[in-house]
Amino acid sequence: MTAIACRRVTRRFARDGLEPLRAVDAVDLEVQAGEFVSIVGPSGSGKTTLLGLLGGLEPPDEGEIVVLGHDLARLTATERARLRQHRVGIVFQSFGLISSLRVGENVALPLTFAGIPEAERRGRAAAALEEVRLGHVVDARVDELSGGERQRVGVARALVIEPAILLADEPTGSLDDETGDLVLDLLVDAVRHRGCSLVLVTHDLRSAARGDRRWEMHDGRLSEVA
Amino acid sequence: MMPFIGHAIRLVVREPRRSLAALVGVAMASALVTSVLLFGSASGATVTRRALAEVTVDAQVLLAGGANATTAKAILAADPAVRATYPFDLVHFDAAALSKAGTATQTSTGVLVGIDPGYDAATGLFAASSGVAAPGKILISRDLASNLGAVPGDQVTFTLPGGGSVDLVVSGVVATTGADLLLGPIDAAHRAAGANPPANVAVMARSDIEALVIPKIPAGATAADPSAPAASGSAVTGPVFAADPAIRREVQIQLQHAQLPGDPVEAQRWLDTVRRRLDRQGAGTFQVIDDAAASLEPLAADLAWGQILFIFLALPGIILALALSRLAADATADTTRRHAALLRARGATTGQLRLVFVGAAVVTAALGSLVGAVFGSIVGIGLFGGALATTDPAGTIARVAVVAVALTTLLASIAAYIPLRSQLREEIALGRQELQRVRGPLWQRAYLDLIALAAGGVVYVIAGGTGVHPVLNAEGNPTVTLALTSFIAPLLFWSAGTLLLLRLVTAALRRSNRLSRAMARILGPGGGLAGRSLGARATTASRAIVVLALATSFATSVLVFDATYRQQQRVDAELTLGADIKAVATAPVTAAAVDTLRGPGVTAVTPFVDRVVYVGPEAQDLLAIDAATLATVAPLSDSFFQGMTAAGAMDALRAAPDAILVSAETATDYSIVPGDHLKIRVPDANGNLVTVVFTMAGIALEFPTAPKDAFLVANQSYVAAQTGNDQISWALVKADGEVTAAASRLTGRAGGGWGISDLTMTTARLANSITSVDLSSLVGIDVTFAVLIAAVGVALFLLAGLAERRRELATLTAIGAEPRQLRATLVGEALVIGVAGILAGLLTGALVGVALLQILAGVFDPPADRPAVPIAAVGLMAGTIIAAVVVALIIADRALARLAVVAELRER
Repeated sequence: MTAIACRRVTRRFARDGLEPLRAVDAVDLEVQAGEFVSIVGPSGSGKTTLLGLLGGLEPPDEGEIVVLGHDLARLTATERARLRQHRVGIVFQSFGLISSLRVGENVALPLTFAGIPEAERRGRAAAALEEVRLGHVVDARVDELSGGERQRVGVARALVIEPAILLADEPTGSLDDETGDLVLDLLVDAVRHRGCSLVLVTHDLRSAARGDRRWEMHDGRLSEVA
Repeated sequence: MMPFIGHAIRLVVREPRRSLAALVGVAMASALVTSVLLFGSASGATVTRRALAEVTVDAQVLLAGGANATTAKAILAADPAVRATYPFDLVHFDAAALSKAGTATQTSTGVLVGIDPGYDAATGLFAASSGVAAPGKILISRDLASNLGAVPGDQVTFTLPGGGSVDLVVSGVVATTGADLLLGPIDAAHRAAGANPPANVAVMARSDIEALVIPKIPAGATAADPSAPAASGSAVTGPVFAADPAIRREVQIQLQHAQLPGDPVEAQRWLDTVRRRLDRQGAGTFQVIDDAAASLEPLAADLAWGQILFIFLALPGIILALALSRLAADATADTTRRHAALLRARGATTGQLRLVFVGAAVVTAALGSLVGAVFGSIVGIGLFGGALATTDPAGTIARVAVVAVALTTLLASIAAYIPLRSQLREEIALGRQELQRVRGPLWQRAYLDLIALAAGGVVYVIAGGTGVHPVLNAEGNPTVTLALTSFIAPLLFWSAGTLLLLRLVTAALRRSNRLSRAMARILGPGGGLAGRSLGARATTASRAIVVLALATSFATSVLVFDATYRQQQRVDAELTLGADIKAVATAPVTAAAVDTLRGPGVTAVTPFVDRVVYVGPEAQDLLAIDAATLATVAPLSDSFFQGMTAAGAMDALRAAPDAILVSAETATDYSIVPGDHLKIRVPDANGNLVTVVFTMAGIALEFPTAPKDAFLVANQSYVAAQTGNDQISWALVKADGEVTAAASRLTGRAGGGWGISDLTMTTARLANSITSVDLSSLVGIDVTFAVLIAAVGVALFLLAGLAERRRELATLTAIGAEPRQLRATLVGEALVIGVAGILAGLLTGALVGVALLQILAGVFDPPADRPAVPIAAVGLMAGTIIAAVVVALIIADRALARLAVVAELRER
């Protein structure tokens, strides 16, 4: 079953006095359910932009993106948000934690937006934190955690919704190798044991090598690495 | 140094968002200062015009002995500044005596005045209040009538300087109101010493005084000194002046007031120029005594106080507008830090960094001040253009703009430097800064807010009743002294309220869990996040709340002050005029004639008689009324009567036709109590005095239209029946709706049969000095700026929040926040800030408004016993601020909608 299907997807950015930049240029990509796909490429090659398009955070200028059977162009902003609330988890390089919230509240945020009752939210957040081996920091403040712990909290927040798709943007980019491996293990575990799809954007070839398929991105163009 | 100044200018130009945010606050402060100063200038013109409107004779031209009045009149009339000339004779008498029915009475010194026909109509002075002027006869002042017990028909003997005497018959009573300067000594030394005008005055035709009186006074005779001690009296301790000549011949002049500059000081200069010019033309023939300049003299000082009051009323707005630069600094703190880091990386020292950023702050302040001064000038011209046009409008505006730009540039530079210093320090040592924040600022630790609040309360109680006090200057003009203590209580309340509010709001916001839960219940997950976000940014959020609260408080206090000011102006005018409208018949009419005044625009009408009567030898005003209808027309307060209510007093008059209310002074002088009979001599239709018996029913302390001293109130129908004189003096009218419109309709309906005056005309006539200034323009400016400050403050906070949390909001979007949920975070923040700010502002504003009333204590009679709360105006103001907050919210929401989520999420 196809989790993500992109056909001729293009995203351009206007530039003063220059030709528009084609950050994503006629990309075709299919990701099957339970598949781990890694995309590598140098900085500025368009990886993060592509991930944003897959997550429905921005619309493409051209082409079609179908996520879990939903043509994103046909969904409203609210419907795309609800798709992310329930089916698509996103992990960021910079963790993306809200400093005014406790760790448990950060993890439960997607459930909060989805209108899940508080008691259930707490239980599921605690379970997600246990899964990333951080059950003991549920009431801690974000600024009390190390970088690796923060990223594991970010992973727990992505997993708490039991996603069908995980989109990870350089999740190990800010971490040392050992901690990066730990975080990557958690994401791979989710693919292997939960059957969700993972799109990992990275420029770390070692991490990319763990993917079922590897793609390379240059100047907005995507090509599969054999 | 130059490269750093250049960098400072580039910082302003290349960071338009940062510069614009700071510039807006400074521009508002400058615009407010400019428009308030222009209001002050326009007020000066208004005050000058109104003060001069009260001056019926601008100058007394004293003719030298032997000078020809006709020649002098011709010289004076030829001057372009002179509008009209009136010859005027004044002759001193040593004594006046009356013998009748075997009793002789005598008074001391006084004056005989000779005027030409038409003088009273042209100047409004020396009008007959009873009887009529007749050839060869005199009208006497009420004091002279009381002192002698003289009535029309009596013959009074005047002993003249030099020993001669003249017998003159009384034909009526004359009003001497407004003529003090003309009757009193003319030389500057006497006037400066505050010499009193004579009370014993007799007025006659100038041709009669020239024929019957002046020939009997020997040349060189001088007036007797009224202050000279009796033969056995104590030694004279006061100054000794040269005696006045017995005869004073003058030509009085009225000037072209349209040529007068608006500013009282400029007007005085103009009058001085005219006086010198006339003096030159009449060298040796006459000397000009400038009465108009004397009337303007206290105005300059009054206006200076007025300017202090106007600036004081606007001060919170000016400070608030400058405080916006603090919010602007919060909004652009990241940019400042980035720039500082960049310059530091290039080797800039802390001193050099300070130079760049202070330079940028000064450039922004100067630019903002200039923009604000232009805007303020446009507002000023729009609102007070008419008043400014009488002076040198371009010069006035230029002077005001320069002052405003200099002042606000200085203040804004200082205001910008304070947050800048902490931002630079933050950039240098963030940890130390955090440590300092935990400790809290010095004022918080020293509880300065509570101390200032208590001090304000103490000052309010101690200074109670002080404020603006009208007093009479040497020329008899009301002038004003302002007790500075009356400014202290509102100032302390305002500062203490600000700091206390900051303390409470910061503490409340830091308890974000409770706030977050409450907001989540109202607005869903977005509301909960807003609560947490406010808690995390408690310092900045509390500043926004305080700015909004103070803007609301500023507007509320100004509105309360203005409403009370207007209320007291109206009460004062009502008491003087008697009702909304007063109609005086141009020909004698009876009480029945008031029915002709009924019609559209009129709710009720009542007849009113004011007649000079005699209680023993003393002349008093008898107010004869219709007790059944007066209360429906005239303002009657319980405080007007002693030991009875207003309704009780009217009931007492209705119950007994011969009932009479007397003044406290009369009750004391004659030792009478309710139930006692009182014989009063009242003129009949022919002016002959008829003795009428009344029964005392109570004491009246004040009464509509009544003078402050002795007066009597009785039934009009009884007085008419007893004297056979059913003529009324005027009718009092209650307007249906707006007074001016009703008066205008009534004037149209009454034709030439009635002279109509209304409350608005009375207010203008009563008004003098700073109390004559219509504060509505100032209030309009202050309230408009308060609303703008509130809107900009909230918008800056919301936009600063957005700028600071772009990445956070992008993350929330990425993890599933719906657009409405993100919007709810903005709405939640605006809601907390709006509700807390407006409610706190209304409370503080009411407190400051009450404290401000101390400034008005003593201005109005009766004084304001409670503040007037203009519910509709305050509601409209609060509604406008809410609307402004909503607009700020919409601006922030549009900025949120433009958020580039992926770009924000990309690692910087």
